[in-house]
Amino acid sequence: MKSYTVGLLCLVFLAGSCTNKSDTSQPKKVAVIVSTLNNPWFVVLAETAAAQAKALGYETKIFDSQNNTALENDHFENAIVSGFNAILLNPTDSDGSIVNAMKAKDAGIPVFCMDREVNSPQAATCQILSDNYSGCVAIGKYFVQTLRSKAKDAPIKYVEILGLVGDNNTWNRSKGFHSVVDRYPNFKMVAQQSADFDRNKAMEVLESILQAQPDINAVFCGNDAMAMGAYQALVAAGKAKDVGVFGFDGADDVMNSIRDGKIKATGLQSPQTMAKTAAQYADEYFKGKRDFAKKVPVAVELVEQGNIKDYVAIKKP
Amino acid sequence: MPKNTLKYAILLVLLGVVAYNSVYFKKLDEVNATSGANAGSKFDAAAYANTFWTTKLLPAGASSATELSTLISSLKTDREKAFDTYSHALGIGNIRYFLVKGEGQITAIGDNDVTVALPDGESVNLATEYIFGNAARDASGLIKITEFDNTMDLNNVSTELNTIIRNKVIPLFKASTKTGSTVKFVGVIELNKAHLRLENLEVILISVELGAGSKGQGEKSLTSRIQSKHYAPGTRPYILC
Repeated sequence: MKSYTVGLLCLVFLAGSCTNKSDTSQPKKVAVIVSTLNNPWFVVLAETAAAQAKALGYETKIFDSQNNTALENDHFENAIVSGFNAILLNPTDSDGSIVNAMKAKDAGIPVFCMDREVNSPQAATCQILSDNYSGCVAIGKYFVQTLRSKAKDAPIKYVEILGLVGDNNTWNRSKGFHSVVDRYPNFKMVAQQSADFDRNKAMEVLESILQAQPDINAVFCGNDAMAMGAYQALVAAGKAKDVGVFGFDGADDVMNSIRDGKIKATGLQSPQTMAKTAAQYADEYFKGKRDFAKKVPVAVELVEQGNIKDYVAIKKP
Repeated sequence: MPKNTLKYAILLVLLGVVAYNSVYFKKLDEVNATSGANAGSKFDAAAYANTFWTTKLLPAGASSATELSTLISSLKTDREKAFDTYSHALGIGNIRYFLVKGEGQITAIGDNDVTVALPDGESVNLATEYIFGNAARDASGLIKITEFDNTMDLNNVSTELNTIIRNKVIPLFKASTKTGSTVKFVGVIELNKAHLRLENLEVILISVELGAGSKGQGEKSLTSRIQSKHYAPGTRPYILC
């Protein structure tokens, strides 16, 4: 009789130990895995995502992948083992991060990508991405409108400075821009070179290009850091007033330069919108929603010298 | 010695066979075509855009476009409500699109647009040069983002719709437009919800009918193929473009 009682108690104990703690009193946990925290743009992205998830009642933790897919892999393993219920991911590499996202998926954890995509629609529950292509269509249109206004069919020479060549965003921006500009045969791209999204590299690249092509009319850069570098190179060459510089991101220094009449235009991205939406989608997932669009574009706004005054009060947190 | 040579020769042939069967060379385009997200089903954006134009956008323009004067008035009085009621967009953010219609008198013809004065005193620009962006794709709200896994397919749909407008709507409109003539139009506009600007509104045309005073009024050659409206003989008030 005594042995039956002990056996029954053991069963009750085992049954109790099998319940999922996260399903009871403890709040669900949301991991924010970000490619790097060395760049303020990604700090805003990660902190906004974590803050929004926290505001929705979830426990959050930010993991910094330091632009290293191996470290990102460690973070995924940690997140899975530690019982995180959702992952808000800013991928380090659009191909290299697929295996990490798939690992979470196999463990039943939804992954919501922010800003950067993974090249597999199956790997993530939803990818919330800046509409780089459309943003650069708007920039391309403004580029043509402003340069063409001087003389409709006069030859226009321009330079394109690309970001990281392995990054999808680089090519989506370039394709969007060229989908407009290439329709105008008098616009001639005299040089196209990568500067890895880096300000100093962009300055060096343009300095070098200016030696071979001193009479360019404009420079289109794949991000704002490179636009600032290009502008510096033009100042050093005494051509800042003659050559229009166009960027992409909506970084504070470029917004101020547009205000000062130095940079012509940029595409304003919204890391806050992407981060908040990702956290919101995780919340909806926990509440049972499953029919997410595979990719959700987030609008990029053209900011130029004509509408910059609308954006004076806009500050990134 | 010949025995060794034979042995080496056989070994060499075996190695050759193994090496030949171990390595395959394929064109990267072929590999991409048979693997990845779009394996086996290349999206035909031009066909999709043509079908959407004919079966959805033109009928929606005829039946559910918002009167431009009503929209402008609504945006001035309650922006939030006007955006919620009339705008659409496939993505999220401040950029939203509206399917609109209007009627007015042409007051100026520029290189890039035609200015039209609406009866209530507002004026809008009908774009004739810069036909770009997602307005034609998004404004009707009839395309669902869940239909697409690949954003480049969505971008290509916009490009193809803009090509249709550029090739089918604009040339006839430009050829017959004249300052002082009246015009009826259905089009799409893009507005920024957070930073709304109602001056210099730019309309991308979906369909247009030119009325009194236009260059080609009454000429059969200007009758367009793009709008399916039919009028009884002698009752057509406008030339379709």
